[in-house]
Amino acid sequence: MTSTRVTPAPAEPAERPGRSPAPRRRGRAERRPRILIAVTALFFALLYLPIGVVALYSFNAKKSLTVFGGFSLRWYRAFLHDDVLISSLGTSLKISLAAMAGSVLLGVALAIGLVRSRSRLGSLAGLIMLVPLITPEIVTGVASMLLFKGLGVTLSTGTVMLAEITFSVSYVTVILRSRVAALNPEVEEAAMDLGATRWQAVRLVTLPALLPAVLASAVLIFALVFDDFVLAYFTTGVDPQPLPVRIYSAIRFGVRPTVNAVGTLMLAGSVALIALALFIPRLFGRKGGLDILSGS
Amino acid sequence: MDATPAVRLDGVSKQFGDSYAVRDVNLDIEAGEFFSLLGPSGCGKTTSLRMIGGFTDPTAGSVLLAGEDVTDLPPNRRNVNTVFQSYALFDHLSVADNVAFGLRRKGVGKDEIGERVGEMLELVQLDGHALRKPGTLSGGQRQRVALARALVNRPAVLLLDEPLAALDLKLRRQMQVELKQIQREVGITFVFVTHDQDEALTMSDRLAVMSEGRVEQCGTPEDVYEHPASRFVASFMGTSNLVDGVYRDGKVVLEQGPALPVGRREGVGDGSSVSVSVRPEKIWLSDFEPGMSVLRGVIRETVYSGATTTYLIEVAPGVTLSALEQNTARARMEDRWNGGETVEFGWRPEHCLLLD
Amino acid sequence: MTVLNRSTRRTGRDRRGPSASGTRMWTWFMLPGTLWMTTFLLASLALVAVLAVGTTDELGNPRFGFDLSSIRAMADPAYGEVLLRSLGYALATCLICLLVAYPVAYTIALHGGRFKHALIAAVVVPFFANYLVRMYGWSVVLSDDGPVLAALRGMGLADGGTKILNTGFGVIAGLVYGFVVFMIIPLYAALERLDVSLIEAGRDLYGGPVRTFLFVTLPATRQGAAAGLVLVFLPCMGDFVSAQLMGGPDQIMIGNLIQDKFFQGQNWPLGSALTMLLMLALLTGMLGYLRRTRKDEAEARR
Repeated sequence: MTSTRVTPAPAEPAERPGRSPAPRRRGRAERRPRILIAVTALFFALLYLPIGVVALYSFNAKKSLTVFGGFSLRWYRAFLHDDVLISSLGTSLKISLAAMAGSVLLGVALAIGLVRSRSRLGSLAGLIMLVPLITPEIVTGVASMLLFKGLGVTLSTGTVMLAEITFSVSYVTVILRSRVAALNPEVEEAAMDLGATRWQAVRLVTLPALLPAVLASAVLIFALVFDDFVLAYFTTGVDPQPLPVRIYSAIRFGVRPTVNAVGTLMLAGSVALIALALFIPRLFGRKGGLDILSGS
Repeated sequence: MDATPAVRLDGVSKQFGDSYAVRDVNLDIEAGEFFSLLGPSGCGKTTSLRMIGGFTDPTAGSVLLAGEDVTDLPPNRRNVNTVFQSYALFDHLSVADNVAFGLRRKGVGKDEIGERVGEMLELVQLDGHALRKPGTLSGGQRQRVALARALVNRPAVLLLDEPLAALDLKLRRQMQVELKQIQREVGITFVFVTHDQDEALTMSDRLAVMSEGRVEQCGTPEDVYEHPASRFVASFMGTSNLVDGVYRDGKVVLEQGPALPVGRREGVGDGSSVSVSVRPEKIWLSDFEPGMSVLRGVIRETVYSGATTTYLIEVAPGVTLSALEQNTARARMEDRWNGGETVEFGWRPEHCLLLD
Repeated sequence: MTVLNRSTRRTGRDRRGPSASGTRMWTWFMLPGTLWMTTFLLASLALVAVLAVGTTDELGNPRFGFDLSSIRAMADPAYGEVLLRSLGYALATCLICLLVAYPVAYTIALHGGRFKHALIAAVVVPFFANYLVRMYGWSVVLSDDGPVLAALRGMGLADGGTKILNTGFGVIAGLVYGFVVFMIIPLYAALERLDVSLIEAGRDLYGGPVRTFLFVTLPATRQGAAAGLVLVFLPCMGDFVSAQLMGGPDQIMIGNLIQDKFFQGQNWPLGSALTMLLMLALLTGMLGYLRRTRKDEAEARR
């Protein structure tokens, strides 16, 4: 685990000869807290071990999940020839794209409106946005399923899309809201001062300023929805099913090593997307955006 | 003659809940003048400016631009432009695109835009920075971009909201001179908000001093400084000796006992409470002229600050006036007073103001 | 210019100045999202409440109505036991997450140096890996012949009969692995904001690092910890995957019951009632948290 190596904090000033006998203030890098570093190292080891195991056994030549019998790509080939899994992959991609587009559209508008408006609708909408964040996914899942059934809608890929959009709008709104609030309101006023209508000010000034955050949250939503299991599980039809739902069945009812291969691919995809989300603000010459992930 | 004022605020108020940010303000700003709104923070000067710009709706009264009532028009339909305190530059656009923004909104032709943007960048000495992003510029340069972006539209009135507040003192002085030059060059009416009385005095043709949402006084810098209309103006503009007392027969009797001779005043009734205001630099310490009010006091402190020396003179227990002397070529070191000495001092009657 | 009639313009008429159009536009901005969320979220949640007092017909299909039998069924001690177990697991998970996250967040925030951002990214990235795949990998790692038990046996801390999977510990381990990131992020954010000179001052005042931590660092990051506790507690209470993959039949949580009623048992009113029970438990917890933070804020404002 090379990633757990901790470097000392910025260099301390060199000690001057003949320093005073008075107790020197202890700089924070003076004594490396070995215990803390050990705990952190152990944490990272345990954090990555399960993922590493899945990735490792995805290349196993044997069918065993405990004994490594040499390197092979047979499970990846098996995945590529598994029509059910491939169609599930396509379904998941479609759902993610739809959820991304829908939630970004609704969420960005909502975030701008929430910050700018001082109406009662605004505070009400702000409260509604918080509901999915304090509701466990299983509740949202049950509720969505009941709604669709109640409306007589047959569960399908479409219903998963609707449920995922609902769930994702909150994320986009929360992330973008803090960004909009951080914008200088005078910039929009300046645009209007220069002859732009209110709508043009939003389109020509506010949206470009938000673009990095919008793109980053779009990527984030794509990744989250693609990996989401619970909502999909409750709202999907029988066929085609999103990939995570297939994986769930596979894990529960006798694991096939193909799951390792699919899991590893999804892992790689997620890491790539998150890296992209983190990298987007840098493309626009701003500081990297870890806060995108924490939403603060 | 009575030319139509470029800006007229007619009984304008802005109420937030129960409190007034601006209360019944009436102002006429003439075309082509450099007009300042001066006052401490929270006095309503920025709110007034925002109401001229159209960013804040007045709760009562009307805003007129060149005689036309624009109270209900949004900012984009008013022939004014604003330089914001934060500059409010569009960070995703280049300097040239920032400046061209307003012209593009108006649908000005491409060639003309290029020409006018070029001219304007030259005027603010930013030619050569046209393609840079605002984020890479210094504070002073950003300020110039904001100015150019507003001026390029040739507005009837340019509104400036503390545009120099973010600059350091040296750059500030330099920009004050430049702003004034640019204003003369383009001949546009400038309405300038500032809390810095020096800035207002040196730059303005006329200024309005505001306090607690009202205009306390409006006039030329000299007017306002020499003849403050209220205690607030007298104390806010520079320093002033302000002493409270009761007017009686050409004198103001102080609470602490002594009476200051102020001369007979028309319209001030015997027994009315007044404040006496005398600027420190208007106090003479020698070579009195006939007709001056001359008093005695004890020097309590001598503060030497290079070009000037300030004396704190105790007239009565608890009543201290400060007097300022220029350390000119003719002034001699040995003529300076020292603490504990009793001095005579005086002022011309017209320099002693009675304020309510 | 004096022809303008002052009195008509000055009367305190109700102004609809230029800002009114802006207010209207912001409303249009919010409207689609708000309507969407009202339809798909609030309405659906209301439906859960409605169905909790519904009935089923002979075929087991849900019917609307007013029947309290599902609500009354909640009094069944079997459900109470599951709810208590879920609470116990969730609280244990919160506690362990806190114990794990503090040193990790502290180390990264204060000793991470220029790798700080990379390290915190390394914490976050696995969270975006598929939850099921991660849990599955974790179950392999914790399995009877997996590396963790092997290491424990090597250290003499476990014998041949020790199990993690199919025990309560297994379920809690799964929950911790699943949600610990929610604790690390707010703690990291709080520790990052923490003024280092505060810690140094604490060292001067209190001397030892432990006392400094207790009297300076802990109080200063309490809000981050509180946020983390909520963020971990909520998904734990609703989880059913960990109990399924890491536990056995004796470790089921309320999420498993709900899942069962909707998928296997096909008793939707009962499932809805269980969902309402879960929400009730969570809302009680949330209210406690909110009251706590309100008090903190009130104190901070003083």
